[in-house]
Amino acid sequence: MIFSELYSVYYNTVAKILTRALEPDVTEKDLQQLVVDHAFSESILTILPALKSGKWPLLKDDLTPVVNQAPTMPLTLLGKRWMKAIAEDPRIRLFGAQLPGLEGVEPLFTRDDYKIYDQYADGDPFEDETYIRHFRLILSAIKENRAVKITLVNRHGKEVRVRFYPKGFEYSLKDDKIRILATGCRFRQFNLGRVICCEYYTGTGPWRERPKAERRKDLTLLITDKRNALERSMLHFAHFEKRAERIDDEHYILRLKYYENDETEMVIRILSFGPYVKVVEPESFVKLIKERLLSQKSCELR
Amino acid sequence: MTDEIKESAVAYSELVKNFEKIRAYIREFYVYGFKNRSEYSARSARSYDDERRRIESWLGDYMRFTQTVEGKNVFLSVDSRATKHNPFYKAWKAKSFTDKDITLHFLIFDILSSPDIRKTLSELVEEMDRYLCQFKEPMTFDESTVRKKLKEYAEEGIVRMEKEGRKVLYSCAPDTDISNLADMIDFFSEVAPCGVVGSFLQDRLKPHQDIFSFKHHYITQAIDSDILAQLFEAIHEKRYITVDNLGKRFSEPRTVRLVPLKIYISAQNGRQNLIAFHEKANRLNAYRLDYMSDIRLEEVCAKFDALRTAINKVEKHMWGVNCRWSLRHLEHVEFEVKVEDDEQHIVRRLEREKRCGTVERIDEHHYRYAADVFDTNEMLPWIRTFISRITRMNFSNRTAENKFKDDIREMYRMYDIDGGDGQ
Repeated sequence: MIFSELYSVYYNTVAKILTRALEPDVTEKDLQQLVVDHAFSESILTILPALKSGKWPLLKDDLTPVVNQAPTMPLTLLGKRWMKAIAEDPRIRLFGAQLPGLEGVEPLFTRDDYKIYDQYADGDPFEDETYIRHFRLILSAIKENRAVKITLVNRHGKEVRVRFYPKGFEYSLKDDKIRILATGCRFRQFNLGRVICCEYYTGTGPWRERPKAERRKDLTLLITDKRNALERSMLHFAHFEKRAERIDDEHYILRLKYYENDETEMVIRILSFGPYVKVVEPESFVKLIKERLLSQKSCELR
Repeated sequence: MTDEIKESAVAYSELVKNFEKIRAYIREFYVYGFKNRSEYSARSARSYDDERRRIESWLGDYMRFTQTVEGKNVFLSVDSRATKHNPFYKAWKAKSFTDKDITLHFLIFDILSSPDIRKTLSELVEEMDRYLCQFKEPMTFDESTVRKKLKEYAEEGIVRMEKEGRKVLYSCAPDTDISNLADMIDFFSEVAPCGVVGSFLQDRLKPHQDIFSFKHHYITQAIDSDILAQLFEAIHEKRYITVDNLGKRFSEPRTVRLVPLKIYISAQNGRQNLIAFHEKANRLNAYRLDYMSDIRLEEVCAKFDALRTAINKVEKHMWGVNCRWSLRHLEHVEFEVKVEDDEQHIVRRLEREKRCGTVERIDEHHYRYAADVFDTNEMLPWIRTFISRITRMNFSNRTAENKFKDDIREMYRMYDIDGGDGQ
């Protein structure tokens, strides 16, 4: 259903080659560069040789194409069905886009067909008009490289005003929240859902402030493979840059890099595995776990 | 023997015909990554070398190697917060094809370059001959090959077939302009089910600024995209399926016949489960998509709607994916936490992270969480995240409660807390 040559890197790259070959003065080097830029690392050994040898008779000896126009292909039914499915998603309102040509198309899935069962309940209000307006203004500011000034409610419930250059958005499916990535101020990110007022900033700098680069820290864990802990932890920590190593049939070392700002979250994620995941290094992180355990011990749970 | 098979018998290719084998290797390299070459014994050494080389060709930027005493280990390491596009989508763009497939493809859409150009099969074949006669040893196509390809393309929705009298006329389907949807497609290709289809759409867009990045982003599900799409298809058509399923207790896949009802996706570990009715056992079960292969759609299930309604009723007692038809054997889970004056974030955590049940303030500094669920064990990892403040617990499943307390004692021992001598 999904695994089809119609979507393949090879078809896409050949389409680019034929398009380029329609232009005058094309060289073999130009075409090779297209393969390097758009195909896989070893495709250079296949695509152009197949075209030049006539194995795929689409390019003549003088590198002119047999086709008369730049190759195109209509959108497949699969693509339309997927678009129809996401048209039902409340988050689509952020983009204000009208999805074209989908009349009579059956969605690939509906919202009744699946559930994200462990997503947090206090996600952003994606259908709220003010939220949508803020999103769109910041999106425009990112694209036009303009500064904005916002008023937001911080985590202590206080209103704060900040001006900065928005550089992108970061979305977390777990939190169901969008964060604005910033530069030109000392904060690295803001929760879009906390913004209560947002407009372009028309004043001038100075823009000397920069958010601190987010430091990544190393963490070494010892996994004891009982109650399927190995698979559970490997999947749970899969989204980090990581390396695993087997010690013996039951023990594994997992080394990963996490972002310093997420340290508290990492502590509770590790605690969730109970005695099957133990922090080995660094000592400072071991201390954080010990503090939690000491505090638990003082609760006198019987 | 087709050109494709001949090719694969003699030479290595970056492309593959069957995704199933590559799916297993990507999963091993990405999720685990501690095995060496000799441990992939179920498959031949040649097969291992070829698959490793392919994956390196597609995902070289993310491939890492380590040397251990047991040999060289290959693994994939991706910080998905730093990558804006799921790298595993590339694997779905490596389908093999024959020389005739690719030639036909570009000729068909050059001849049928707009929807108002309509041709019969023989007109198309004649025109193709004119394109190809410029070569020394021209490739030729018989009508049946071209007809088959056009039929396939009609099913994909990219070619239209219209009858006019006794003639069948072929034209290309009208295209859909998605050029102003780049941001939307970028976003949903990473967060929506079957996001790889969004990635196929991205390939049609002009280069543009990437606005979005993603946190807590589990990318492994990409390799199960086809399974997911087929399950959605079966659910949409309300059909039974048979599927090969590698259960926890078996080393070999077993074929099961199911009524697929709903997909349960985890935002906290990336796992995808199918909740399905096992008619023979009269049970509602959860099946991991990454353990499934070879799905066959079968006849329509007359009671699909009733089953779907029934599952909606039991959902409020599901913490994870375990569920049953009957609510008679629900397990009561209750625990209390202490919350200091400056720790209202803990109360907010309880409220936003609970998937069912209630949170109740007991006194100035204590809150109680209570729920009735199908499986207490599924809740234990979440309850452990409150370690440091749990003051009381009461589970009707005493085994689970004892296990929880034993685990805490074990953690005291592990970290040498006060000699680790229990509570």
